[in-house]
Amino acid sequence: MTIPNETLQAMIRSYHGFALTDDELELVRPELENYLQEVEKLRDLDLASVMSGRLLRAQEGGES
Amino acid sequence: MADAALVTMTIAELAPKIKAKAISPVELTDAVLAQVDRLQPSLNSFITILPEQARRQAREQEAALMRGEYRGPLHGIPIGIKDNIATAGIRTTVGSKVFTDYVPEEDAYVVSRCKEAGAIMIGKENLEEFAAGSTSNNLHYGAVHNPWNLDHIPGGSSGGGGANVAACVTFASLGTDLGGSVRGPANFCGVVGLKQTYGRVSQRGLLVTSFNGDHIGPITRSVRDSALILQAIAGYDPLDPSTVPVLVPDFSALLGQELRGLKMGIPSNYYFDIIDPEVETAVRQAIAALEALGVEAREVALPSMQYAGALRIAGMADSLVTHEPYLATHRRDYGPTVLYRTLAGQFVLGRDYAKSLKVQRLIKEEYARVLQDVDFLVTPAAPVAAWRIDMATVVLGGTAYPVRGPGAGMTARCTSPSNATGLPAMSIPCGFTRAGLPIGLQLIGRPFDEARLFQVAHGYEAVSPSRQRRPTLVDAGYKTGSTA
Repeated sequence: MTIPNETLQAMIRSYHGFALTDDELELVRPELENYLQEVEKLRDLDLASVMSGRLLRAQEGGES
Repeated sequence: MADAALVTMTIAELAPKIKAKAISPVELTDAVLAQVDRLQPSLNSFITILPEQARRQAREQEAALMRGEYRGPLHGIPIGIKDNIATAGIRTTVGSKVFTDYVPEEDAYVVSRCKEAGAIMIGKENLEEFAAGSTSNNLHYGAVHNPWNLDHIPGGSSGGGGANVAACVTFASLGTDLGGSVRGPANFCGVVGLKQTYGRVSQRGLLVTSFNGDHIGPITRSVRDSALILQAIAGYDPLDPSTVPVLVPDFSALLGQELRGLKMGIPSNYYFDIIDPEVETAVRQAIAALEALGVEAREVALPSMQYAGALRIAGMADSLVTHEPYLATHRRDYGPTVLYRTLAGQFVLGRDYAKSLKVQRLIKEEYARVLQDVDFLVTPAAPVAAWRIDMATVVLGGTAYPVRGPGAGMTARCTSPSNATGLPAMSIPCGFTRAGLPIGLQLIGRPFDEARLFQVAHGYEAVSPSRQRRPTLVDAGYKTGSTA
């Protein structure tokens, strides 16, 4: 997955970001690509149930 | 005592001699400043050197000793401070051009604690620009050089501290560690680096950093010295909400106790997945040495670590927000590697930031479970040994990994997880590559269980192939030159 320069430029304009030329965007890309790859890996990970209850062990948790 | 004999001692060796007035803080400081003069041109490990102040502090500490006011094991010990830790009246550049003339009005909490303990500040140590990287190749203040091979990096971002401690320029350094910046330089320079539990040491006065996961920790030449420094800086700081009001134990209490009966976890995934064969061999040998000392080895799985890369997402956004005011006014003063790495953070979506925090929680829970079954974990401190300063990528297993600027992350993959979990972790030397560069072992412990880590590290230190070795340049200027 990659994000076109036009989209990034629109994000910068709309969200009052720091201006970057297209040449500068190429310098940012390696970090951006890493970010997108990591997000892609999370796509199928269910994070909804991440909460402290996961730490309970059977002998401590009891029955509800 | 000859200068060479003085500067190569450890804090634990010096302290009783200083207390007994057999070694004078003034004599010791003069020996260290001579070492600074000799090696700064080669190492470039300081941004600011403080000879007059150091001599004044040494005279004050000597006078206190003569009055019978011994302040403990740091009394009269010359140390270095990383230049992103605030020092009253002394410029603190954060390795940047933006802060080149910044002079804080107050000392960081840890600096105050070290001064109260009688330590002598030799200078402010060179680092990566804004402590954002692992090479200490600083565009504004020059590259720091590894004392084992001057063509190689010392690691970063606390590279000046790692180089100084390894080269016997200082006896200890206070570094900072947001992703491995204490443990990395310690590893690459063949000394001991500690990132204690998050909340154990105040971060007040640590400049331009993230609220999530940064630590101030010691770099030393021995495990015992690491415990002594932590003893001086640990404790609840009511003005730093990140500190935790827990008991500060005697961190040296378990040193020398046998390791038999302890259980170590060897991760079956992640930490050994991307690794140089020479590093893996040394770390596996260290694990075998720990087993020979009576530690039971158990393989442990950390399946959530497949998502560890997502931890960086929150870091990207944090970094952007941290730098926002300076980018708005001083953008042209940034070097390109930090600038473009930081600006990528403006594209992180809030949804992904929140997911990153969820992954952090998931990983913390997994470590908490694993550490119910073992006392500590053993991993490499880094996948590779120190690379050449001029290298932009390092090849491992046929893949080229960037080691500077945007996209760099491989080099901290073994250390950064402990910044996310907050668990105590330390790097200790466990051998050398065929090229003579240090290799490090990482121990990861239970929360606030640093004393156990010190016990294990101290036990291993006595049998490590790195013991008693130091860079040849330490002794090169002395007629008594010896590397043993």
